[in-house]
Amino acid sequence: MPAAVVPDLNTSLPTQHTLIPFLQSQSQNTLTRLYQKPSSCLAIFRLLAPLERQLVMNLLWLESAIPVATMAAWVARDGKKLYDAAVVNLGNLHILPSSMVKLALNSTFKTSFRHAITGGGTSGSFGVPVEKDDKRPALDLGALDSYALERWETILHYMVSSGSGQYPSKPSQGVLYLLQRSGLMANIHGALQITSFGFQFLLNSPHEQLWNLLLQYLHMAEERQMDLVEVLSFLFMLSTMELGREYSTEHLSETQKAMLEDLRDYGLIWQRKPNSRRFNPTRLATTLTSSSPPLPTSTTTSSGPAEGFIILETNYRLYAYTDNPLQTAVLNLFVTLKYRFPNLVVGTITRDSVKKALQSGISSDQIISYLSTHAHPQMRKNNPLLPVTVQDQIRLWELEKNRLKSQEGYLYTAFASQADYELVLNYAKQLNTVLWENTAKRCFFGSLDGHANIRGFIERRTGATG
Amino acid sequence: MSSARPAQAVATDKPSHLSVIVDLSPSQWHLSSQPPPANTFPLTLNSFLSQLLAFLNSHIASKHENTLAVFGAFPGKSLMLYASTESETINPSAVDANSYPPFKMLDSTIIKRIENELDQLDTEEGIPVALVGALTKALCYINRISHFSAANVSKAKLPDSLTISDPHILILSVSPDLSAEYIPIMNSIFSAQKLRVTIDVCKIYGTETVFLQQAAHLTGGSYISLERRDALLQYLTMAFLSPPSIRKALSVPTQDKIDFRAACFCHKKIIDIGFVCSVCLSIFCQPVPVCSTCRTKFPIKILQRLNASRPPPTPLRNGLSRTTSMSGTGGLPHSGSIRTSSSNGTLR
Repeated sequence: MPAAVVPDLNTSLPTQHTLIPFLQSQSQNTLTRLYQKPSSCLAIFRLLAPLERQLVMNLLWLESAIPVATMAAWVARDGKKLYDAAVVNLGNLHILPSSMVKLALNSTFKTSFRHAITGGGTSGSFGVPVEKDDKRPALDLGALDSYALERWETILHYMVSSGSGQYPSKPSQGVLYLLQRSGLMANIHGALQITSFGFQFLLNSPHEQLWNLLLQYLHMAEERQMDLVEVLSFLFMLSTMELGREYSTEHLSETQKAMLEDLRDYGLIWQRKPNSRRFNPTRLATTLTSSSPPLPTSTTTSSGPAEGFIILETNYRLYAYTDNPLQTAVLNLFVTLKYRFPNLVVGTITRDSVKKALQSGISSDQIISYLSTHAHPQMRKNNPLLPVTVQDQIRLWELEKNRLKSQEGYLYTAFASQADYELVLNYAKQLNTVLWENTAKRCFFGSLDGHANIRGFIERRTGATG
Repeated sequence: MSSARPAQAVATDKPSHLSVIVDLSPSQWHLSSQPPPANTFPLTLNSFLSQLLAFLNSHIASKHENTLAVFGAFPGKSLMLYASTESETINPSAVDANSYPPFKMLDSTIIKRIENELDQLDTEEGIPVALVGALTKALCYINRISHFSAANVSKAKLPDSLTISDPHILILSVSPDLSAEYIPIMNSIFSAQKLRVTIDVCKIYGTETVFLQQAAHLTGGSYISLERRDALLQYLTMAFLSPPSIRKALSVPTQDKIDFRAACFCHKKIIDIGFVCSVCLSIFCQPVPVCSTCRTKFPIKILQRLNASRPPPTPLRNGLSRTTSMSGTGGLPHSGSIRTSSSNGTLR
């Protein structure tokens, strides 16, 4: 089960959160400003890998720096690689300034994170809650969840159905722009069409989808001259807010107020009116830094449990207990659907349907991981989860696609003599650029990147002799 | 767009459950807070609690899905002080903008409940703390939530993806061993082993406790006796914050010596050499004609032979192969011949 393999602690380094590389690319100045907010520190801390978190915690309550060797002694020999990677990672985030002698946390980070853990301070970074207004009651949790779900599914549904020519309800302009900007959809013949990135995106977990979009939003914010620190700290603030509580907009900066509209479109927050002075974070926002599914189990739109509705049989037949149009549409990407019932969709995985998916840029691993993450609880009793035949066949179909590999390059031919040919060929072989050679015909094919060198070599040769 | 990467990170980075058992014996905490002549590093209950809360917050901070339960062992009573899965009725209306709401909730709930309990306490001396009661409650709680998630009940308050992995219990002990609790403690240890729960022990004040050492050893946890009590939080963070899954990569301190002595069933004394019923494995400090647990009668001849072979108060204990020493081979560091005199003296 490729999707369920837990990488061995000792051999493979744990993968990072999507946001970490983005943060690492920021300047130290930006990050230090970000670390002034306790809520940002807490949120970033949660995105770190387990060992990194432990390392931060070890150093958090120390007043003085400790020697590098002392800290390294705390790691067992097996974990050395992991530990070194953790130190480098934290160094890149400027949480743990890299030093050869002593280790100590960035003082701004340390102060703010201590405030976050112990409470106190005056930063107000966890959002200013407002008293309940009896005249205009806030939404209850259920309504909030279904609001978030509806917003999010609108976006996804719009994406998935864009190829089919039928357009359900359209998300707002801001969302459309973001989708286009992020390369998930492209403007083809005046209409937005989903790209192969978009197809891959659809099969990701909701949590990844959300972060991918937000990451694009952050890139866009940079271009729109928005203050990145404000944008990030607002997102992090949202992630530490309490679900079902109303917060005041009055203490937000101008940038953050401008963000309210965008976030409303994505379903991260709810506001009674666009100019309302209070807002509610939805579950999408409050679970940003967790790995639990951000989307609530949809009780209104589908009958079965939202996660786990697919039953796959060895005969390639697939039963999906759902009436959710989005899930059906996603399945339609790689399944030939046969029947639809009020709560059940039946289809088969065929060569054609999988080929169609592969053509639109979806990989076999994505299909398999989608099937296994959404497998029905009944399927979970099987080991392996998905029938091996089906998995293998999906992979084989992908391999079929890869029978031919194209590579750009140059054909070198019409050498004057065998000696010339061999000289150039040997040179090209040293550069490791030869893709194909035929001595009898005195020609060979070299890859694109070696061309400049080979050409220069030949020119030098002809220049020297001629 | 990076595909499927965070999913893997999640797989290695599972939420963990921590149950903390706090020994809140007023008399021991009073002793612990005595200034320097009595203690090199005095530790008051207040400063202990503030460091504990910081530690608990760190656990919650580490991961959104981490769960936490706190149990208090009071004299003669044990109580669940906090559980992150229970929805709280005490709603701190004053959620302020400077603290993370779950932390605030946790801190206020725990402090409030401890204050309540301590106010209600009888002043009567000498009631031992109900450590075993708290331990049992913690195990029951872990059992409940792990069954809960296994059953995958979607209607419940818990998100159904929540699977309890790596549950561990941390016992913060200040009271000395209660030999009367030997059997219930051993039973708890066995159920902990069965539930795959790691028991960590931090001895904050007082003498080493034999039973808790064994608990930590048998469940693969670590037992730490604080040397610098002013650095409590640092000890807690470095040794006990990491979930068992990442401890593989760390050198978390473990005991170098474990006291494996057991307590006899008849007088509840911790003994070095005992007599074991061949049928039910009950332990006695002296040969008995009838096993008090399973009612097996032993022939008078064997009794005589055992009595004859009982060691005199001074050495010569190597000859007794039949009088089974429960300390076994593993207990070599503390083979206990030195202490024999004291415990044997009481047996007569």
